[in-house]
Amino acid sequence: MPTARPPIGPTLAALAGLILVAGCERPVGCTGEYCGTIVIASGGEPDILLPPVSEFAITRDVTDQLFLKLADLGASGNTIGDEDFQPQLAARWEWDAPTTLVFHLDPRARWHDGQPVTAADVAFTYDAYTDTLVNSSFRSSLRQVAAVTTRDSLTVVFRFRQRYPEMFYDAVYHLRVLPAHLLREVPRDQWRSTAFGRAPVGDGPYRFVAWKAGESIELAADSTFFLGRPHLRRVIWRFTPDQQVAVTQLIAGDADAVEVLVSPDNVQRARADTALTTYPYKGSAYGYVGFNLVTPGDTTKPHRLFGDRDLRRALLMATDRERLLRNVFGEFAKVPPGPLSQLWWIWDPEIRELPYDSGQAARLLTRTGWTDSDGDGIRDKDGRPLAFRLLLPTTSAIRKQYARLLQEQFRIAGVDVQLDEVDFSVFNERARAGRFDALLNVWNTDPTPSSGFPQTWTPAGFGRSNYGRYNNPDVDRLVDQAVASAANRDQARRAWRGAVETLNRDAPGIFLFATANVAAVHKRIADVTIRPDSWLALLRTWRIPADRLTDRDRVER
Amino acid sequence: MAAWLVRRLVASIAIVFAVVTITFFVVHLAQGTPCGPSGERPLPPDVCERQRIQFGYDRPLPVQYVKYLAALAHGNMGESFGLHRPVADALADAIPNTFILALAALLIDFALGLALGIYQAVHAGRFGDVAVGNVALLVNSMPVFWLGLVLLLLFAQWLRWFPAGGIHDPVLCPRVDSPYCGLDFLWHLTLPALTLGLVGAAATARYQRAAMLDVISQDYVRTARAKGLRERRVLLVHALRNALLPIITLFGLAFPFLFTGAVLIETVFAWPGMGRLAVNAIFQRDYPVVTGAALLTSTMVVLGTLIADALYAVADPRIRVRGKAGGGGGDA
Repeated sequence: MPTARPPIGPTLAALAGLILVAGCERPVGCTGEYCGTIVIASGGEPDILLPPVSEFAITRDVTDQLFLKLADLGASGNTIGDEDFQPQLAARWEWDAPTTLVFHLDPRARWHDGQPVTAADVAFTYDAYTDTLVNSSFRSSLRQVAAVTTRDSLTVVFRFRQRYPEMFYDAVYHLRVLPAHLLREVPRDQWRSTAFGRAPVGDGPYRFVAWKAGESIELAADSTFFLGRPHLRRVIWRFTPDQQVAVTQLIAGDADAVEVLVSPDNVQRARADTALTTYPYKGSAYGYVGFNLVTPGDTTKPHRLFGDRDLRRALLMATDRERLLRNVFGEFAKVPPGPLSQLWWIWDPEIRELPYDSGQAARLLTRTGWTDSDGDGIRDKDGRPLAFRLLLPTTSAIRKQYARLLQEQFRIAGVDVQLDEVDFSVFNERARAGRFDALLNVWNTDPTPSSGFPQTWTPAGFGRSNYGRYNNPDVDRLVDQAVASAANRDQARRAWRGAVETLNRDAPGIFLFATANVAAVHKRIADVTIRPDSWLALLRTWRIPADRLTDRDRVER
Repeated sequence: MAAWLVRRLVASIAIVFAVVTITFFVVHLAQGTPCGPSGERPLPPDVCERQRIQFGYDRPLPVQYVKYLAALAHGNMGESFGLHRPVADALADAIPNTFILALAALLIDFALGLALGIYQAVHAGRFGDVAVGNVALLVNSMPVFWLGLVLLLLFAQWLRWFPAGGIHDPVLCPRVDSPYCGLDFLWHLTLPALTLGLVGAAATARYQRAAMLDVISQDYVRTARAKGLRERRVLLVHALRNALLPIITLFGLAFPFLFTGAVLIETVFAWPGMGRLAVNAIFQRDYPVVTGAALLTSTMVVLGTLIADALYAVADPRIRVRGKAGGGGGDA
């Protein structure tokens, strides 16, 4: 007797039903101008949604929608003075004295729990940011602020230790005002694990809805936001650790926006999709080979190779930086004219630097005694080969690619380079301790060179970010002059240019690339404006016109 | 049986303890410092130093170890400095996701692997056997993350049958308890489970084919046929049960594979499980999370092996008999 066939039919029907049901969407509701939903595919996930205790760029993206600053950078990105800043929590401000800045808070500002935002919140926030128990990495940015006091419930006074051009920037840019009534009772040394950090109450255009660890964060527009109702009703970050997968999500319609497409391949993929628009914007990062100018483990002695200025100059001239850039980034980066990001106003392609000249590099190496005496292709001197190790993190595909190309270019010049590829934590540890010959590093910069440049290229950064311990008093003097004269743009520009050109002549590093970012956003989203220092800073003005809304945009939560 | 079980449990606890101890010391002694986000701007050294002191990493390692064990004995797995939350909470969020993924992959692995293995054995030497064998070899040779990327490209980007990663549709499924979102979850589970399951199934099929071929040439199978039993009954009842023994061993071994495979698959499919959590923690030198993840993973692997041994005893009467006779020998 034949046995019954296995029940394949019902199984297939169930599977088809599953796909059908999952593929369908629920009944839709919202209509009109304020219905949009944007899903952002993000490579990282915030560690905590409490601005003073997080350094992640993704945390900043989310908390910028939740917490307001007193004022924010304008479209020009100018950090000098206060004229280009846009009011946020502060409706207006004035200078009572050269070092006394008075903010008048907007009386309409409310926390999302309904409480008014007061001057006490601002004073409390300053106190928290500068408290060593909170241990905020932004504490050093506020070192010039002597005190923050309240004059009345809506007036707050900042007193500075001295007068300088970027006082206003320092007072407002890093400080996101926090609700004192909700955080005052939390012991300061427990801020890093407070429950508030996973379900914050803010005062920004969006309020917190949900955070599913490892999956997504959702915010909803505050329809009563005093600076104008945000057009996009829901903002969702979905966390996708792999950049390729993030772009796949974008193309597959599972996400609406990606901050940076990173590789030329991804840009091509996004541009080939007619549903997407790409938005190029200035990058805040620059990458370089940094030479260690001192002996690893002994900062009093010069490095056996890189203590020699001529050798550094020869290596720089032996490097075809344009060719490297085209290989790795295509059109999406520029060779920087020094240690500069494209975001900085001092970026100037006219800044003088050593050219690519392999002939001159070879002559310089020969003149300094580095010749290939044994014919093995590697130059040597006093029986020692011209060889060094290049430290780089395994987590960066870009740097790994650069390292291999550099290795080949140096080999042609008769220099043997071995790669030390380590994970990011080890890279940081060794860089900070000076345990390297040369490193392949990338700096993400603030909008202004005034703090970042001195910390990386003057003795102010010894033990911190000046890993190679570069030190030239002429550069230090010019940087001081540039920072102090920032109010006078031309004077400051001349001083910065002088500092960078002096540094370029010393060749403490080979400045390889300054990134240009490309974001991709779904075409139905209009009025997309990207501020290069913080790509979602103007998110509340992005919108989806009513005639472009999809069913997903209209879904009621 | 009870004595055997007690012995195995004690051995299992010792194994887990050893894993935790080794992980604790290895991760603490590894180069790199627990400071700052991975791949972003490093924190200032003074901030790092204060953080180190706050978490007690400035103390001697043996002191930290004793403190960790004491806390663990009270059910406290510590605080993650990378995630700013208790390790137990982070693991509690991640474990169910990894467990479900591993379970689904295991189902695919064994259902498909057994079916293909039996089919191959029955059609040994014929076209179907050779074709299935070659395809299985091909799939088994593929790196699991690469297969994941291929399936993602094919089914998510080109055909758009399945979502491109994630665990839920974040627009439509804010609440996971609705029936719709249950189906949505299964829809998202399909590709990662299939990727992990297919690679396992390819190996299982090869084992099953060999085991079946071995069994169907035995006298008792021939006797069953001679008694006039239907071929399906001969294969599925008489032969399969005996051919299952090596597969049960494979079942025990599948757990470590599934958990290590999950590390890669969770990254490719943005699946928020233990693997992703552990990898991020390793990069950030988030010691308590790494040790906590090792504790749980080793516990699950040891339990899996224990279950496999118990199943072995159920499937093979000879082992039960030896057990009753006072033998023991769990690893039959």
